[in-house]
Amino acid sequence: MTREVDPITLQVIGGALHAIAEQMGNVLYRMSYSSIIRESQDLGAGLFDKDFNTLCESDSTPMHIGSLPGYLRGIARTIPIDGWQPGDCVIHNHPYAGASHSPDIAIVMPVFFEGELIGFSANTAHHVDIGAATPGLIIDVPDMYAEGMLMDGLKLFEAGKRNEALWKFIFDNTRVPSLVKGDLEAQIASAELGVRRFQELLATYGKDQVIQATRQLMDYTESMLRREIAKIPDGDYTAEGFLDDDGRNRGKHLPIKVTVRVRGDGVEVDLTGSSDQVPTAFNVPFEGSTNVACFFAFRALLLDTYTHEEHIPQNEGSFRPVKVTAPLGSIYNPIAPVAAEARFCQIQRVVDLIIKALAPVIPEKATAGNAATLSFAAFSGVRPSGDYWVFLEVNEAAMGGRPTSDGPDTVEELMRNTRNNPLEDLGMHLPLICDRYEVRDDVAPGAGKFRGGAGVVKAQRYLTPGFMTHESDRHDDAPWGVFGGKEGAVGKLEIYNVARPDEIASEPAKFSGRRTQPGDVVAYFSPSGGGYGDPLERDPAKVLDDVLDGFITVQHALDDYGVVLDEVDDGYGWQVNAGATEARRAGRGAP
Amino acid sequence: MIRVGVDVGGTFTDVVLERTRAAGEDQQIVVHKVPSTPHDQSEGVVKGVVEICQMAGIAPGEIDMVFHGTTVATNMVIERKGAEVGMITTRGFRDILHMARHKRPHNFSLQFDVPWQSKPLVKRRNRLPVTERIMPPDGRVEVPLDTDEVKAAAELFAKRGLDAVIVGFLFAFLNDEHEQKAKEIVEAAMPDAYVCCSSEIVNVIREYERFSTCAMNAYIGPMTARYMRQLEGRLREAGVRAVVRIMQSNGGISTVENAIQRPVGLLLSGPAGGVIGGRWTGEHAGTQNVITIDIGGTSADISVIQDGELRIKNPRDTEVASLPVLVPMIDIDAIGAGGGSIAYLDPGGAFRVGPRSAGADPGPACYGKGGDEPTVTDAQVVLGRLDPEQFLGGDLAIDPALSERAIATHIAGPMGLSVTDAALGILRIINNNMALAINNNSVAKGIDPRNFSLMGFGGAGPLHGTALAELISARDVISPLQPGITAAMGLLVTDLQYEYTHSVLLVLNQAGEAEFEALNAAMDELRAQADAQLEADGIPPGARRFRKVAECRYLGQGFELRADMPEGPLGKDNVQEVIKSFFDAHQQVYGHAFEDQLTEAVTLRLIATAEVDMLRLPDLAQGGRTDPEDAVLYVRDTVFDDGEARPTPRYRRDRLLAGDRVTGPALIVQHNSTTLLPPGYAAEVLGHGDMRVAKQG
Repeated sequence: MTREVDPITLQVIGGALHAIAEQMGNVLYRMSYSSIIRESQDLGAGLFDKDFNTLCESDSTPMHIGSLPGYLRGIARTIPIDGWQPGDCVIHNHPYAGASHSPDIAIVMPVFFEGELIGFSANTAHHVDIGAATPGLIIDVPDMYAEGMLMDGLKLFEAGKRNEALWKFIFDNTRVPSLVKGDLEAQIASAELGVRRFQELLATYGKDQVIQATRQLMDYTESMLRREIAKIPDGDYTAEGFLDDDGRNRGKHLPIKVTVRVRGDGVEVDLTGSSDQVPTAFNVPFEGSTNVACFFAFRALLLDTYTHEEHIPQNEGSFRPVKVTAPLGSIYNPIAPVAAEARFCQIQRVVDLIIKALAPVIPEKATAGNAATLSFAAFSGVRPSGDYWVFLEVNEAAMGGRPTSDGPDTVEELMRNTRNNPLEDLGMHLPLICDRYEVRDDVAPGAGKFRGGAGVVKAQRYLTPGFMTHESDRHDDAPWGVFGGKEGAVGKLEIYNVARPDEIASEPAKFSGRRTQPGDVVAYFSPSGGGYGDPLERDPAKVLDDVLDGFITVQHALDDYGVVLDEVDDGYGWQVNAGATEARRAGRGAP
Repeated sequence: MIRVGVDVGGTFTDVVLERTRAAGEDQQIVVHKVPSTPHDQSEGVVKGVVEICQMAGIAPGEIDMVFHGTTVATNMVIERKGAEVGMITTRGFRDILHMARHKRPHNFSLQFDVPWQSKPLVKRRNRLPVTERIMPPDGRVEVPLDTDEVKAAAELFAKRGLDAVIVGFLFAFLNDEHEQKAKEIVEAAMPDAYVCCSSEIVNVIREYERFSTCAMNAYIGPMTARYMRQLEGRLREAGVRAVVRIMQSNGGISTVENAIQRPVGLLLSGPAGGVIGGRWTGEHAGTQNVITIDIGGTSADISVIQDGELRIKNPRDTEVASLPVLVPMIDIDAIGAGGGSIAYLDPGGAFRVGPRSAGADPGPACYGKGGDEPTVTDAQVVLGRLDPEQFLGGDLAIDPALSERAIATHIAGPMGLSVTDAALGILRIINNNMALAINNNSVAKGIDPRNFSLMGFGGAGPLHGTALAELISARDVISPLQPGITAAMGLLVTDLQYEYTHSVLLVLNQAGEAEFEALNAAMDELRAQADAQLEADGIPPGARRFRKVAECRYLGQGFELRADMPEGPLGKDNVQEVIKSFFDAHQQVYGHAFEDQLTEAVTLRLIATAEVDMLRLPDLAQGGRTDPEDAVLYVRDTVFDDGEARPTPRYRRDRLLAGDRVTGPALIVQHNSTTLLPPGYAAEVLGHGDMRVAKQG
C-alpha cells in the first residue's frame, strides 16, 4: 500500500498535470497546418497510466476529451503492454478498435521512467483528408473500407527509428499530403513534450508519490460527480427524438431513445430503442464516441464550470459513475464493416436528450432544446497545378433557453467547441468566397421567459469547379421548448448559382460528393434553440431589445410574448406600451 | 529637470518625483502614496502630484514632465461603461462582432455567459450594413460603396445621439478606399462624434479581431479623451505646466494626443510600468534576464524579460475582458493569487487557495474588518513573517489573533492539522499556483528559468521571492529598492514608442522583384508615418530608433511568430535572414523548425522608439558589512518552510549600505514591503540599494 499523498502535495501534482495537458494541446494547435486543427482546435491531448486511465487532458474540444482511453485499449489488441520500447510512436485511427472516428488520428508515445513503462503521452487530431471515397468527409458509402486509410496500432517510430515506408504510405494516400505531414509533426511534438514533462514530474516527486496522487485525483473527481448524481432522485427518465435520414434513404426518419437510470450516486444511459445501424457512414463508434457523449453530458450538466467555482481535474474519475448501454447492431454500437465516420449529429442528440430527460428533476441545470447538431462541410477542388485543396468548415448553431439566461446565439453547442475560420484568411488562400455570415433572422428563435438562441446563416460561393460533401441533420425535428417555452426552428440548406439567384434548390442536410460549378452558392441555415419558460413572463424590456436588434418582429412580440409596442420617433422606432402589455398578458392568463 | 511618475492602482496611487540638477550636483528622489479615487482617477493623481511637490520643496510649476500609468480605459471595458457606438459594415456581415469566433468560453458548461453577446461593444441595432464589396486577393472593388446608404446610416446614428461610430468593411486591409470614404461621410454628418475605421486602427487580416479592436477603440475613445482633458485641466489648475506622457500596453510611452486617437493602446497601461521597472532594476543588478511577478491583493501579474527585452504577446493572444484587441501588449499573465486570496476546503474536501479574494474590503481576517476567512496574508502573519508593527510601517493596525482563529476554524480544525502546518500549506499551495503560472509564461514558451533572476514586487512580492525561485529553479532573487512602488518608478524609465502595421501575405522563399518592391514600399510608408509622429513629438531624427519585424508562419499554419528584418530594403539577397530569424523563433517556441517548408510573411510591423531621460538612482554609501548589528530592529520567532520556528532578526532596510550582506534567517523590513530570507539564503545589497538574494554556498 502506498502512503496517502497529503492534500497539499496533491494540489501541487494536480496543478502540474493540468499544466502539462494544456501545454500539449497548445503546442499541437499552434504548430499545426490544417485549419480544422489550428483554427477549429479539433484535437485532444493528455497523459494516461499503464491501465489507460486518463490522468489529465487538455481543455480543448469536448468530443476528444475522454476518447483516448478507447484508442489505447484498441492499440493493446495489436501491441501488448510489454511490446513498448522507449522512443516508440504509434499511429492509430481504427473505428472498430477504439477510435472516435477514422479522421481523428491518435499519436501515442510510451512514458518510461527508470527503465519501467509508467504510462502514455497521447493526442488526437482531426485530419483533413485520409483518402476516403470523397474528399474530406463521407456520407453515402458502402462500408468502412471507403473511409480511407485505417491504421490499427502501427509504429511510426520504433525505438526512435522512423518507419519510412509507413510515412510514405500515408503521404501517398491522402489528397493533402503537406497538411497531413505538418499536422502529424505537430502531434508528435506535442506527445514528445508530454513524455518529457511527465518524466520531469516523476523525477521531482518520485514515482510512487505521483502514481498515488493520480489515483487520489481520480477518486476526487469521481466523488465530486457522484455527489451531484446522488442529489437527483432515483428513477428512469426517458426522452425521444429522431434524425432526418441516413443520407441515402431519404425521408426515412431514424428514432433515438434515451433512458437515463439514476440509482444512488451512479447513472446508466441506455440507448435501447434507438435506430438500427444504417447502411451509410452515419453510424457512431461506440467506445470512442457514444461513450464520450454520455460522459460529457453529466460533466456539463452537473459540474458546470461556469456555476462551479472549483476547478475539478479532468481525468478518468469523471467517466466512472456513468455507464453506457447501446445494443450491438444499433446506430450507436454498429457492427463492422459498416462505416461509422459521420457520427457527430447523432451524439449531439444523445446529449440533448439526456438533458431533456432530466430537465423535470434538475430544471435549474437544464436547457431547452439545443440545436444539437452539426454542419460539417467539406469544400474541395483541384488546382490548375493538379494539387487538391480540401477545406473542412464547421458551422455553428445555437442553444436553447436556460433557467436564468437566454440561449446563446450562433455558438458551438454541446460536444463541439471549435473556432470558425476568418473569412478573410479563407478568401486569401482558397477559391471560395463568403457571401453572407450573419445571425439567422428569417425565423424567430423559440419564445420563452428565456428565449432560445438564434442560429446562423452562412453562404459560401465557389469561384472554381469543385466538390462538396455536407454532414448535417435536423431539418425535420425542431429543438423543443420546456416549461412553457416554444419550440425553436429547424435548419435548412439552399443551393443556387449567383447568375440565377432566384433558382434556389432546397437540399437535404446530408449529401456526398456533389460536383459544384463556379458561382454555386451553398447557404446553410442552422436550427435555432427552443424557449425556456412561459414567454408571457419575459421582461418586456428584453422583448423590446430583441425587436430593436432585429432578432424578432413586432408581430412576434405581440403574438408570442404579449408585448404591445408603440411607434416612436427616437431613431429606434419602438417603445413598450406597459399598460397595454399588462392588459394583454392578463387577458391571456398563464397557460 | 524634474520628472514625476504617477501609477494608479486599485487601492493606492503611487507617485515618484525625481529631480536632477547640473552635473555633479545632488539628485533628489521622493516617493509618496495617496488613496486612489476610482470615480475620477485624475483627482488622486493631482493630489499626489501636489503633495509630492510639497514634500520635495518645489512648486508644481517647476515639474518638467509627468508620466502617467492609468487603468481608466481598462476599467471602462471591465465595467462596460464606455460609449454608445454605431457601426457601418459590409452588407451580409452585420453580425461578425456578435458571432466572434463562434467558440464558447467554457467546454463543460451549459449555463455559461457569452460576453460579446450579453455585453456587446456595439449593439446589433447600431450595426448597419451598407452595400459595398472588396475582393481578395488583390483588393479590387467588386461592388462600389453606396454612399447614400452610408449617409442615411450616419443620419440615423446622429438622430440616436450616438457618441462614436466605427467603419469596418471586409478585406479593408487590402484596400481602405471604402472605409475612408465612409468615414468622411460620417464625420460630415456627425461632426462631434468619435469616428474611426478598422484599417486605420489595426491594418491586418482577420475580420473579427480587426473589427473588435476598432470597436474597442471607439468604445473607450470618447471617455478616455474626456479623462485626458480633465487630467490636463486639473494639473493646469494646480499650477503644473509640465508635458504629460501616457504609458501604453506595449511598454512605451505616448503623447496625450496619440493616446486619445488610439486609446486601445492603453489597456495595459497600468501593469506595464511594473514590468519596465523590473527590467530597469535588472539592469542595475547586472542581469538581462528577469522574471517579474507583481503580487497585489487579489492578483499577481507575471512577465518575462529576456536579454533586456520585454516579451510582447503573440497578437493571437491579446485580449481584454474576453475580447480580442490586436495591439502590441507586453506579455503579462494575470492570475488570481495575491495576499487577499482565500484559503478554504471545497465540498469534496480539497484544500484550495484563491482565486476568490477578500480584496481590500473586508480584507484578510487580521484587518478585523469583518473578513473571517483565512487569507495568504493571514498565513504570513501566523508564521511570523509579517509583523503587525511593520505592516505598512505600522500605518495599518492588524490583529494576529484573528489570523490564527480564521486558520484554526476553517483549515486546521477540519483537516486535523496544527495552525502552523495549515498556514504553511496555504503558502505552499499559493506559491505553487504562482509557480505554475510562471512556468506557463516561461518554460512553456521555451524559456529556461535557470538563467533568470526572479523579481517579486508589489508589497507582498519579496515575501514569496525565495520560495518561487526554488519552485521554478530560478538563478536567484532580486528585491528591488522600493518593492511597493516599482510600477511608478518604471514610468520614469520608459522610451517613447509607436507601432505601425501592414498586412502583406507573401511567401518569402518565392517572392520576386515586384513583390519585394511592394513590401519595401509598404515598409517605407510605415516609416513615414512613424517619422511624422516623432517629428510632432519634437524628437530629433538622430534620436529615433526603428525596428522592422515581419510576422511569419510556415505557409499553411495559422499562427505567426515575429522575425527580425534587416535594416536596408528586403530583396532576394537578404531574405534568408528573415527566414532564419523565423526558424529560430519557431525552434524556441515549439522546439521544432522545418527547414524544408515555405515561410509566409503575414504582417509587417515597424516599431519606432526614442529614448527619453532615464531615472537615475543615487549610489548608496559603501558598507561592506555582514549582518550589520545597527540595522537590527529586534529578534522574533519566524516559522520557515521546514516548519521550525527560529529566532529571526528584523533588519531595517534603510540602514543597510552598499556591499552589506545579510544572512538568513532574517526579515528585512521597509515601509511598503518585507523581504524574507530563509535559513541558508543571503542577501547582498547592491550599489543603489536593490538586493540580490541567493542560496549560500
